[in-house]
Amino acid sequence: MTNQTATLDKRTNPVASVLQRPLVQAFFNDPITYISAAFVIIVVLGAIFAPIASPHDPKEQQLPLRHLPPFSSGEAVVDNTVKPYVTETRFYIFGTDHLGRDYLSRLMWGGRISLAVGVLGVLCSSSLGIFLGLAAGYFRGVVDDIIMRAVDVFMAVPLLLLALMVIYILGASFINILIVFAVARWMIYCRVTRGVVLSLREQTFIESARAIGCSDRRIIVRHVLPNLLTPLMTLATLDVPGTILTESTLSFLGFGIQPPESSWGLMLASGREYIQTAWWIVVIPGLAIFLTALSFNLFGVWMRAVSDPLQRWRWLKATREAKEAGVST
Amino acid sequence: MRAYMIRRLGHSIFIILGIMALLFFAINVLGDPVQLLVDEEATQEMIDSLRAKYGFDRPLYVRLGEFYKNLAVLDFGKSIRHRIDAGGMVLDRIPNTFALGLVAWGLGSLGIPLGILAARRPRGIVDRIVNVMSFAIISIPDFWLALMLILLVSVQMGLLPTSGHDGLGPGGWKYIILPAIALCPRVLGRNAQITRATMIEELGKQYVSTARAKGLGENTVLYTHVLKNASIAIVTLLGAELAGFMNGATVVEVIFRWPGLGQLLIEAINYRDLPVVTAAVFTIALIVMITNLIVDLIYTWLDPRIVYK
Repeated sequence: MTNQTATLDKRTNPVASVLQRPLVQAFFNDPITYISAAFVIIVVLGAIFAPIASPHDPKEQQLPLRHLPPFSSGEAVVDNTVKPYVTETRFYIFGTDHLGRDYLSRLMWGGRISLAVGVLGVLCSSSLGIFLGLAAGYFRGVVDDIIMRAVDVFMAVPLLLLALMVIYILGASFINILIVFAVARWMIYCRVTRGVVLSLREQTFIESARAIGCSDRRIIVRHVLPNLLTPLMTLATLDVPGTILTESTLSFLGFGIQPPESSWGLMLASGREYIQTAWWIVVIPGLAIFLTALSFNLFGVWMRAVSDPLQRWRWLKATREAKEAGVST
Repeated sequence: MRAYMIRRLGHSIFIILGIMALLFFAINVLGDPVQLLVDEEATQEMIDSLRAKYGFDRPLYVRLGEFYKNLAVLDFGKSIRHRIDAGGMVLDRIPNTFALGLVAWGLGSLGIPLGILAARRPRGIVDRIVNVMSFAIISIPDFWLALMLILLVSVQMGLLPTSGHDGLGPGGWKYIILPAIALCPRVLGRNAQITRATMIEELGKQYVSTARAKGLGENTVLYTHVLKNASIAIVTLLGAELAGFMNGATVVEVIFRWPGLGQLLIEAINYRDLPVVTAAVFTIALIVMITNLIVDLIYTWLDPRIVYK
């Protein structure tokens, strides 16, 4: 009887049917995964809605209020054209920086740049890598040889060195940083794509597509690319934290985002001089980078586990056993 | 074996030549070498005279030929800023980078016992802690950790100097500790993860059941059988990490004013010192190649099944 109601529910209520899927249930049974997913969502929302949600203007300076520690409030001057000045009491959750700017607002606006570079950088590098990997794997021959030798050469150069070279020659700007990531990280996508394509092109469904007269372009776009989606999505998710960390390193060294724009790495760099008087200027953006990278990593690992059928089976079994053990005790 | 080594060496040389071609192409085709030497205020006459002085007005293929000829005899020219031999400047920095890299690498290899500990009981409490912790320390930005160490250990507690360098002799140990700690987390975490993953994979194989069935103790199974087979993957990783450390830890070296290769490169880029940049890139590429070559040799010694043809 109870079984019957369960199936009925499943059929009539789409939300319940989604919630009853083993994968979704497993997701909610694993606190580490859903906490990190939630954190990623909060950070992304905070960055997207910074123009509406940030409590103050991130560029507005209040010099008398500089170096206010977190959780303190101060009288900010709103209008200095009339005397006495019009002031308002403001509460600073994360304190203020060396120019009296609200640090929470700066963190949200800086996050926009950091996350944008993280996501767009991965998009750039993966697009280039997938394109070259498809070409190498699908056409083989000379194209394959040239591209794979290029992969060898690029793989031998340390990432930061390659990034510094590109910035040294092209100069530092937002677009050039994206170029850096395209140039410095495309190799891994190229290798994975080529590997999958090499195994796919031997399979019968590709052969039959060719037999009925599909063009190369159609075969690649309609038959090969969809099969690449899962492994590449996982790879890309795991690549985002690395990209965010590299961007912050470049910005910290002065080769990344340039003022007046700001990113978390740049906030850390400019706070360096005040480390002894105002610790939060260095601690808070560092924690933001750290926690965001960690959440992306933990979520990416979960994605990798569930996208591999064998690993997913083990993982679901372990969750089920853990749950049963929890019920019996 | 010998034929393999020769081919492997040829491959390495090809890659180094490729990297240098990349650098040459980037400097001379994408950018303008004279623009890289001067700052924004330079007049057109200055630019033209520099172009003639350094021979940048000659055709590209002549310059490429000269570039490779100078590489072959390891002549990088004089540093524009210090007016001394650029190759010598780079050589001076190598011992410092090696020393810092080795200490950080040693600290990082402490991840291996952690990984073994985690693999003893997969999904147990130790395993879960090690797993999350390893991801946590991989996600720490190293320059941030460096600043935090300076703030806590040097400024608050006054235990170690904030930055600097005092030779590699017995007097200099104080200066190497903090940079090494700041450098090691990523490697430590990765070591723990890979060790754990390979150990767990090996534990599922049949020889483990055989070993247990013939009555060997769990420790013997774990340390003499499983660890030995897992060590191939671990050595690969250790080698790659050593190569990674040898090319200079740029940010950490800059923060702690440690006079290594990375700091030299940043300085050279900031002062537009083209010969030093070329020399540093070449040296870094060379060191990475040599380390990889050595790792390949260690494989054959560890795993006799690998036969190179």
